[in-house]
Amino acid sequence: MSDPKSPRKIAIVPCSGIGKTYGSVSREAAYDVTGELRPEDTRLVSLAMLVLGDEDARATLAEAPAVTIDGCKLACATKMVRESGGTVAQDYAVLDVYRRYKQFKPQGIAELNEGGKQLAHALAEEIATVVDHSLSQGDKNG
Amino acid sequence: MPKYLELTLDKFTFKVADDRFYTPAGLWALPEGNRIRIGLSDFQQQRSGDVAFAEIKPVGTQLAFDEEVAVIETIKVNISLGSPVTGKVVEVNPAMSDAPEVINQDPYDTGWMAIIETDHWEADKARLINPQTYFDHMKSLAEEELNQ
Repeated sequence: MSDPKSPRKIAIVPCSGIGKTYGSVSREAAYDVTGELRPEDTRLVSLAMLVLGDEDARATLAEAPAVTIDGCKLACATKMVRESGGTVAQDYAVLDVYRRYKQFKPQGIAELNEGGKQLAHALAEEIATVVDHSLSQGDKNG
Repeated sequence: MPKYLELTLDKFTFKVADDRFYTPAGLWALPEGNRIRIGLSDFQQQRSGDVAFAEIKPVGTQLAFDEEVAVIETIKVNISLGSPVTGKVVEVNPAMSDAPEVINQDPYDTGWMAIIETDHWEADKARLINPQTYFDHMKSLAEEELNQ
């Protein structure tokens, strides 16, 4: 089992928008990456904890770059990571991702429809690739 | 450059360009000789949300007044838009397929959707509403939504 405080973990920071379909897609994608696809290499960071100035959340951002997933153009996740002193390896906007996967139309809020789940998974797969790349770059840089 | 009628309600500001005509559904029509440039009003784009896809009828399509000229899919809704003019589509803004978010970013200028060539402008114009009337219509819709 890996050390939960390992500095090699990439922070995944999704939108906190509750009651919004695209926010739900962002969170589903984050859970997929951190729980299924790359659990050893990533750590889920709550946007709400960053807003509250939580020390652990800020420390996670100080250790490794973050991948942010925003549900709308306000881009709260990306802005908050930067304001918290973190660096963003890659920022995603769910709407832009949907434009690349038009066949996966997201609907639903409390529970996403099948399209929303498939969109979240497609996004999670993209993020996993970014995570791999960021970690390999980190290895090269020592 | 057009001037704008502006309505601020709560945290929202809606602009109505004063140099064109409107449908009550929120499409604008700007005559350029016998070619009419069309697009979505600022109010309608804000009300509809961020545009994901905009499908405009292709060049060569013949349209009757109010016949579907475009379907817009946003993060909130799918909207079918009726043509504000009778005629033939002669140009579609390439941004509609590449970067439809331009509708949200610049609805009265670079966010135009199509150009329709017409011989019926005077007749169709009589069925459209002027900027002040659209402004009043928009104000009533916006206030109604805000109070819901």
